[in-house]
Amino acid sequence: MTDPVAAPSLRRPTSWTPAGLVLVSALLVLLVGIPLVRLFAVALEDGPAAVGRTLRTGATGQAVVNTVWTSLAVTVLGLLGGAAAAFVTERSRAPGRGWLRGALLAALLGAPLVSAIGWTRAYGPGGLLDRLVGLHWDGLYGPAGIVVVGAAGAVPVGYLVIAASLASRVEPDLERAARACGATAGLAARSVTLPLARPGIAAAAALVFVTGLNAFEVPAVLGIPAGFPTMTTRIYQDLTLAVDPAAFAAAAALAVGLVVIAVIAIAPVDALAGAGRAPRTGGAAGAATAAGRRSWGLAAALWTFLAITVALPMLALVLVALTRAVGLAPVPANWTLANFAAALDGHTYEALSNSVLLAAGAATGVLLIGALSAALGRAGVGRVLGTAVTMTFAVAGSTLAVAVLLAYGGSLRDTLAIILVAYLAKFWALGHRPLAGAAERLPADLVRAGRVSGAGAATAVRTIVGPLLRPALGAAWLLVFLFAVHELTISSLLYGPGTKTLAVVILDRQQLGDVAVTSALSVLLTLLIAAAAGLLLVARRAAGRRSVPT
Amino acid sequence: MTAAGREPAPALEAVGLTVSYGRRPVLRDLDLAVCAGEAMAVLGPSGCGKTTLLYTVAGFTAPDSGLIRIDGRVVVDGPRSHPPEDRDVAVVFQNYALWPHLSALDTVAYPIRRAGQPRAEARQRAMVLLERMGVAALADRRPAELSGGEQQRVGVARALARGAALYLFDEPTAHLDAPLRTVLQEELAAQRTALGAAVLYATHDVAEAFTVADRVALLRGGAVAQIGSPQQVYEHPVDLWAARLTGPACALDLPVAPAGPGSIEVWVGEVAATVAVAGGREPPAGRAALLLRPEWGGLGGPLPGRVLAVRYRGPDTIYRLDTPAGQVEVRGGGAPRAAIGERCGWAMQRVGLLPGPASAAAPHPVSRG
Repeated sequence: MTDPVAAPSLRRPTSWTPAGLVLVSALLVLLVGIPLVRLFAVALEDGPAAVGRTLRTGATGQAVVNTVWTSLAVTVLGLLGGAAAAFVTERSRAPGRGWLRGALLAALLGAPLVSAIGWTRAYGPGGLLDRLVGLHWDGLYGPAGIVVVGAAGAVPVGYLVIAASLASRVEPDLERAARACGATAGLAARSVTLPLARPGIAAAAALVFVTGLNAFEVPAVLGIPAGFPTMTTRIYQDLTLAVDPAAFAAAAALAVGLVVIAVIAIAPVDALAGAGRAPRTGGAAGAATAAGRRSWGLAAALWTFLAITVALPMLALVLVALTRAVGLAPVPANWTLANFAAALDGHTYEALSNSVLLAAGAATGVLLIGALSAALGRAGVGRVLGTAVTMTFAVAGSTLAVAVLLAYGGSLRDTLAIILVAYLAKFWALGHRPLAGAAERLPADLVRAGRVSGAGAATAVRTIVGPLLRPALGAAWLLVFLFAVHELTISSLLYGPGTKTLAVVILDRQQLGDVAVTSALSVLLTLLIAAAAGLLLVARRAAGRRSVPT
Repeated sequence: MTAAGREPAPALEAVGLTVSYGRRPVLRDLDLAVCAGEAMAVLGPSGCGKTTLLYTVAGFTAPDSGLIRIDGRVVVDGPRSHPPEDRDVAVVFQNYALWPHLSALDTVAYPIRRAGQPRAEARQRAMVLLERMGVAALADRRPAELSGGEQQRVGVARALARGAALYLFDEPTAHLDAPLRTVLQEELAAQRTALGAAVLYATHDVAEAFTVADRVALLRGGAVAQIGSPQQVYEHPVDLWAARLTGPACALDLPVAPAGPGSIEVWVGEVAATVAVAGGREPPAGRAALLLRPEWGGLGGPLPGRVLAVRYRGPDTIYRLDTPAGQVEVRGGGAPRAAIGERCGWAMQRVGLLPGPASAAAPHPVSRG
């Protein structure tokens, strides 16, 4: 008012946060809220008591019991293995720790379906070991196999969470301080390392348990042939094989049951993991003391573990895929590419293109909605919505598939679109978490420096935020693509004529006993995953180079 | 005094600025004016609101209320404001805030590009600035490949490239070694004179504030406690807090009596001494709260004392004495001349007056520029 030139252009700063909050809330309601409400409404039609009865009695009751005890066993074994691996890579002086770290992370990216089929080719009746030394494992098909193969897959998961918590919360200087105060190595571990790592271990336990609970691939390959049902395989059989309404009601009850059990498992962990972040001491990395020869032994044990659980099954798959006929010795004289040619018929091409299309669509969609939810920040309602997005990942794929089918099956049944909707709901968290992390690590002063250098809000995003987050965006896209391209749980429940995915084709062929072709398809899927993983590695390296100097 | 003499439009004028984070008030009804071409230091302990003041002026933080003019143009008036890019300010950030994906040259060219210059022209002018800062050889490097000092030069060059009327420095020389600090301050002084721009320089280091600033504003609890030239705030602090913020100081509570113009008679125990009063004011008879800086007193004199501690500083020595007036610190030239535990005489050449219960009747000696 005192300044006639400047006064008219003064304006109230616009905030886009309310619009973003509304948009993310609406997406959450559409992708997760409405489907889950529909599912619960259908499942609880006859009251909660009826659901309880369904989940406690008969074949469904048996599936619940089977699922809970195998998941608990997988959790215990996976945590022990993961903790041991974390000790080796984060605290010991074992040689080749970097390679070990990389191998464990690579194991994390593999398809559980391929892994389970690989185990049967390596250790099952007529498998590689059977052929070489006349040994096979009868228990592979059944609960023991489900627990062991599940635990082998859970070790890298547990490792990742525990190692990350050791690296971020329990810096070696804290242990050195305990040793300098007179504690023995054991006492330092008990009084410093363990209490600080506890939230990480609790989070790992919850993650591994829920992953085991929701797992479909391993029980489908190893449980169904042995007549050992779990909740997810029961839903699959009720929905795809049975025709009567009672079977659908049972599937809906099981889908609800999966959510209830997951909530019961996660709730106490939230309380444990609530402890605040420790300040970085910035000390040198490495072991508090020389861990001595024992770590050599542990490292060797870990490499052996990886050889048995990852390398040998994969090798067996490749050999079977390359060998002319089942029963022939896997020697070069008997090698052929005929199995790959047989595998790549028209149906496979269609499935392959479906898988790639769905994965690319899911990755792109998740990138958009993940960037949106990540941009809301960690304050107020944004934090609540971020937590909701993250929690969606704990909802079983089977549950989401049944729920989405109930909500949108009327118009979208048997289309790729209905699978895509479920993928977006399932993988949103996979895009949200890394993007939210990258956005949080971006110092606010970098954007301020742009604004005060004369850049408007849009220009600052284009010239500063965009280039800095590009590697993180690329990595998030690839991560979602990787998980979506071998996704089986959801697509096996939602596919229709012409919308089969590659993973569904592989499961079908496996169940038909088409050993050589299944192996060839598994190898192809693994090559696809490896290509995406390679790109992911490059993107992560680039992201590392862009990191802000301190 | 010098600032009041010339009266062009102030480079910065903040009136009634109030800022709070949630319910916590950070700036309370703050008034501040920086003249064109003037360098003002904002001195205060951490948490006093220095960075908030700078961020509010730059436009990163919205005030609850208040008015800000930059170079005579209103940029904030209550809830309505201009965004940072439309204000005539440049900022040197505390941690430099260099963009990891840009080379030093492109970083400095960035503000010139935003001002509408073509890329080649912007780079050419950026190169000239980098040369002036002595880091032209590092033009192609990214921040990760620069040392802390080099990063800071690039950060300063980026601010200078903006060609603003007002430069904000958010404690930029923190954690740098003394020689580099000196070079940089000389560089800044040269740049500022050349551009005729004003500087608002936040720091918690009094030596730095006195070196870089024409005037110093002492910030306490989000409000200006005192403002004046470095000499004014050092010689005539408004209270003990201001005195301690600007240098070593002892507070004494002693019986006094007027003793002619500009001096008073002070009793330390049984001994009386006539001392000058800084600023020429005189307290009424009775007890008065007095301020003593070490160099205002000295070793050797009529007042009784005993040495408690000796701190040798090279050009001089500081002695902590136990006296009937309480513990005092006085300065003596050269090497230590008394040992701990030794009885010695000391003197006060001058004292300052502090507001306090004992001198409640005296007017507050608020000094203004």
